[in-house]
Order: sequence, then C-alpha cells, then structure tokens
Amino acid sequence: MATARPGWSRRAQYGLFFSLLGVIAGIILGLILLAVSLVAPKTFDGLRGGALDITGPIAGALHEVTATAQGLATGADDYWDAARQNGELKRERRAMLERMVEAKAIFQENLQLKAALQLRQQTRDAVAVGRIVGSSFNSPRRFAILSAGSSDGIREGMPVRSPDGLVGRIIDVGALASRVLLVSDRTSIVPARLLRNGIPVIAQGRGDGTVEVRPLEVGRNPFRPGDLIISSGTGGLYPPLVPVARVVKLKDDGGIALPLADPATTSFAIVEPPYEPAVVAAENQPASTTAP
Amino acid sequence: MVRTALSPPKRFGQGPSPYALFVPAATVVAASLLAALPIVSTSGWFPDFGYLALISWRLLRADPWPAWWAAPLGLVNDLFTGYPIGFSIALWSATMLVLDLIDRRTMWRDYWIEWMVATLLIAIDEWLHWRVARLAGADLPFSMMLPPLLISICAFPLSAWLVSRVDRWRLGRR
Repeated sequence: MATARPGWSRRAQYGLFFSLLGVIAGIILGLILLAVSLVAPKTFDGLRGGALDITGPIAGALHEVTATAQGLATGADDYWDAARQNGELKRERRAMLERMVEAKAIFQENLQLKAALQLRQQTRDAVAVGRIVGSSFNSPRRFAILSAGSSDGIREGMPVRSPDGLVGRIIDVGALASRVLLVSDRTSIVPARLLRNGIPVIAQGRGDGTVEVRPLEVGRNPFRPGDLIISSGTGGLYPPLVPVARVVKLKDDGGIALPLADPATTSFAIVEPPYEPAVVAAENQPASTTAP
Repeated sequence: MVRTALSPPKRFGQGPSPYALFVPAATVVAASLLAALPIVSTSGWFPDFGYLALISWRLLRADPWPAWWAAPLGLVNDLFTGYPIGFSIALWSATMLVLDLIDRRTMWRDYWIEWMVATLLIAIDEWLHWRVARLAGADLPFSMMLPPLLISICAFPLSAWLVSRVDRWRLGRR
C-alpha cells in the first residue's frame, strides 16, 4: 500500500486493494467492538479472563524474582545496620508493650459493652489471599492484577483489602488471576467517614494514585491534613471500619488523600465476600456496578 | 540497500533469519506483553509499549506486515493491557491507513519528520485514551495525560532505535 500503483501486475494491484479493504474492515470491526465494550462491559468477560490467565502467572513469576532480589538487598542492608536497629526495636518494643496493656483493657471493655448491647459480631472469612503482581501502565484507569482467580473462589465485585487498608474491588476474573479496580480509579467511589469525628464522606479516585475526599453534607470543610478516612459500610459492598486513605492536602470543598494500602508495596491482598451480598445484588439489578 | 546487496558477502550463512516475515509482528506482541511486568504503577505514566513498537516498525518500513494484521495485533494488545476491547483494533488499523496516506504525500523523510509524525500519533493515542475513559465514566482533566504523553514522546527514539536493531538482525545484516 506504500505506492499508489505497484506496476502493471494485476495480482499486485488486487493485493493492495484487498489489503486496503482489510484495514478498513479492521477499523469498523474495532469501532463496533469498542462500542459494545463501552455500552455492555460484561460482554467480553470470558475473553478478558482468558487473557488474564496468560499474563497473570507471568507477572506472578517475575514478581517472585524481583521480590527475592529486593529481599536479598534489604536483608544485606539489615545486617549492616544490625546494632542500631536492635536498639531501636527494643525501644519500640517497650513502647508497644505499654500500648498493648491499654489495648487489652479497651478490648475487655469493648466486649462488655457489646454484650450489654447484644451486638452480634459478624465473622467474615477471607475468600482468598493473593499478591498484587501488576497494574495498568498507560491508561487514565487504575487497575491492578491479583494472582488469584475464580479457582480460588473469587467472583466479580468482591472487595479487596490488605493489612494496611482498602485496595479496591474485583472487576475481571480469570481462572488463575483477576483484575482489581483500585480505589484510586476515577470510577471507584467508596462510602467512608472521618475517623476523628465520624462525619460521612465520599472517597473518589483521581486516576493518579490519590483519592479525592468530599463531605456528604455541604458546609464547612471538615478535613485536616493527616486525617484518616475509614470505610463506612454504606452500600453494602465494602466492609465498614477498613482504613481507606490519609488526607494530605486540602481543597475548597474537600481534600486530597493518599490511599493507605499502596498497591506497589502491598505484599498480600485479601479478597472478602461483599459485606451485605443481598443489598449489592438488589442494587445491581437496575444498573451494573462498573458504571456508577 | 542496493549497495548492500551488491557488496560481496563478507561471511557465509548471513541471510535473513527464517522467521524474518513474522519478527516485526512478534516484537509488537512482545511489547504488548510488557504489560505483564511486575511493576505496580500508581500513576500510569508508562508509555503505550505496543503502540510505540507498532509505529516504530511502520515508520521504519512500509511493509513490516500485511496491513490488516494491525487488527489482530490490536486485539492482543487490548487483551494484555486491559484497554476496552476494540480500542487498539480500531486505532492501530486507522494508524496503518493514515501512515500510508502520509507516505504518499511526503517528499522526503528524516529523523525529525518521523519523530514529529510519531509525536502526533502518540498524542492522538493518549487523547483517545482520555476520551474513552471519559465515556466509561472516568471523568478526568486532560492535564492528567500530559506526563505520560511527554514520556511516550521521549521514549519513541529509543523504541525506533531498538526496532531498527531488530530489523537489521532479522535481515541478517550486521
């Protein structure tokens, strides 16, 4: 197709013409598929899951290699610095012991209060535990790849958390790996509240690794730098009392916060069943969760 | 190239590699597979590796692969990178068509013109990413896309150099 006319050969001319038709067909096909995947995001679930099963294990294996290399490096560093670290750890341990006694007292008090209120403690079992092995590289969307899939019992829409805080929720599931919509994605909205005073807020991703927090009620800006945001459990998808983010910057009507669970350094991610599956299922009937 | 063909062969067994026809497409698939690297990016500032490889090949040669191969290559890229399916299929096919039109119009080519064409294509790619993300519900300001755009533009010469090395290897010239 580089030149208008490749010579007098009929065969070459037809070849060029058909390749032009092929390209145009490719464009039309691509546009149709794009329209379908925007309007009905669930159409290609099987295909996307299959692709995840190819890339997920590769990323997982490479992740092991880099983790080992990093481990060796930090391990060597720790030996180098052992004496100073030892002193620091002893100091920390003493401080922690004091805190632990306090915590035990609070725990006891909590048990008594709960007994008095006859609150039923919901036990929540993790569905699966995986590693975050990859992410979307070039895209305004923020996805991560989790090294566990439907063979571990993971289903679409399940919340994902790490020991540090909320990571996101599952959107694509393969047999061996799954894709997580991170809380920093623009389409992710987490109902939350301020830890300091319980004011209900909303945490929406900004696409660049941070989240935007806004109070539900219009009025004075309730945020202060350093405030912790925890999930409220409203909506039934995310469990309550999971740390979400820490406010780092104030804006006119809210603030910008950093997610506490940094997917880049999270070693393990825990997948849990939806907090109140009945509520989520009822909400999913009229509209899908991926396009709120 | 004529001169290379006329010069006497310096060594024996230096012909094109047996899979020379498929090497360009294979490198594009490999570039798409870079999405499986165990790097967790919280900002998304990495270049669109598959697209960079595609335009590097197409700017280096008019016929790295039959033009319609762009559609299946785009599907592979969509699947591995997690873009909405159809995005790369349409964009990559359209890129092949546009570059053919540009090939007819341009009188001469040098590195600067190629880089400018690549810059334009990368900018269109990033703008479409932003546009499609908007349609999918991720409403962000376009300034978000400027850092990855700049990084991609700066990464193009590197990708073009790598591709030209692979091209020399596949054709058996050293």
